[in-house]
Amino acid sequence: MFSRISYALRETWASFRRNLTLTAAAILTSAVSLLLVGTTFLIQRAFENLLVQWRGDVEMIVFVRSDASAEQIGLIDSVLRSSPTIIDVNKLLYLNKTESYEEAKRIFVGDPVTLSLLTPESIPTQFKVVPLSDDPQLVRSLSDQYRTLPGVEAVALAEDEFQVISTLSNFIRVVTLVMSLVLLAVAVGLIWNTIRTAMFARRREIEVMKLVGATNWFIRVPFMLEGLLQGLLGGVVSCGGLWALNSAWTNGVAGFKPGTGISSLVVPSSYLTSVMLILLGIGAVVGAVGSAIAATRFLDV
Amino acid sequence: MIRLENVTKIYGSETVAVRDASFDIPKSQFVFLVGPSGSGKSTLLRLINRQEQPERGDVWVAGRNINDLPASRVPFLRRSMGNVFQDYKLLLNKTVFENVAFSLEVIGKPRHVIERQVPAVLDLVGLADKQGRFPEQLSGGEQQRVSIARAFVNRPLILLADEPTGNLDPTTSEGIMSLLDRINETGTTVVMATHDHRVVNSMRRRVIQMDHGVIVRDQERGVYE
Repeated sequence: MFSRISYALRETWASFRRNLTLTAAAILTSAVSLLLVGTTFLIQRAFENLLVQWRGDVEMIVFVRSDASAEQIGLIDSVLRSSPTIIDVNKLLYLNKTESYEEAKRIFVGDPVTLSLLTPESIPTQFKVVPLSDDPQLVRSLSDQYRTLPGVEAVALAEDEFQVISTLSNFIRVVTLVMSLVLLAVAVGLIWNTIRTAMFARRREIEVMKLVGATNWFIRVPFMLEGLLQGLLGGVVSCGGLWALNSAWTNGVAGFKPGTGISSLVVPSSYLTSVMLILLGIGAVVGAVGSAIAATRFLDV
Repeated sequence: MIRLENVTKIYGSETVAVRDASFDIPKSQFVFLVGPSGSGKSTLLRLINRQEQPERGDVWVAGRNINDLPASRVPFLRRSMGNVFQDYKLLLNKTVFENVAFSLEVIGKPRHVIERQVPAVLDLVGLADKQGRFPEQLSGGEQQRVSIARAFVNRPLILLADEPTGNLDPTTSEGIMSLLDRINETGTTVVMATHDHRVVNSMRRRVIQMDHGVIVRDQERGVYE
């Protein structure tokens, strides 16, 4: 058993060095495509920070003063529920101080100055409103009516705030996703081709191996490991690139004026770490798939 | 040990390489397959090690019908037979020792077995002092000895040789034949395809003659006609 493992590893390494140019091309292609995949994840997450308060078709938020009494909050609630034809009362959601503060932490993740002004005691609570009607005028006229209720601090409409960003984020998501899928397919193809070339270069050896009774798996494994290694190395390179990109972006955004929203567009480092792990995983899968196809198809050389 | 029953092999749609061939080779026999180029000798060998499968008929090796053998078992069938070729099929980037060791390595034999068996077989074929040479530093006859060592190192039941003396001069051929004869004496069944009159006539063994894919003669202690 040990001799088989050491054989596979030795052969993988030898073949890896023999084909250095093609190998480098395969690694770089997978790195670039994985970097794009990773960037898609990060952009998505950054926009989510910005849009977190509008998640789930919420189009209007009624902010309640932090010193509002329980009666005032109850009154606002019953007024909101009095228009069941315009407002989806089943989706009506009230965030108390703790919940609102948690949400604010995400919105102001890149804006510690603003965040420090908020405390769980001073933060306004909020009603999230999902309208039933598609008529923006109707929702707008309702919002004017809510503004006058006692205890209401402000009413925000999605239309005014983040409709554009939301559309933009959807567009960017589709474009980057399609591009990264295409590039991943290219990476699979390049790894496939590298492995095919490696097998062609060693066709005499493979012929002898088959004649003396080596099993197909024994012949295949070093080639599959080689592809796996290429994909994995592509993943490592893309992780480095993503880390550099994210650091540059986070530093750049820190200089923006607070409250412009741009400063929300950063991701926590724990999220970056999990994206990197995902990239390594995808890289390994891409390499394994590409080389497995090649090793299975071209064994009859 | 090897039995063919009414075997027909067709390449493409109409090229009949072997037609209705039947024979039975008992254990430890030495058999020549003779006939002109293209008469189907090599195809017969390829049917026996299952590089080819017949369109009709059955091939039995060591009591098993190898046509029924699932593809995953074919490597294990091949471990019971050695193959020798006219062009040696040695790996040029490996030394003599490594070429022979390679065939044990790829069937998962442990290092200590390799280090015991390879020198022993190289001693048998008379190359004990050339273990570290590369194939291109050897004469044709020596290269063929390496390939025989590789085929025999695993002590196979059967040795299949396809024109092993095809590229060698008469004196060198004689040496190769006496080596194959010695291997045969250890109990290994040897099937050798050749169109070399001299070696067939000097050995006086069983001769199966092919012509256009058909067996036209099967004779004990025969000569090349």
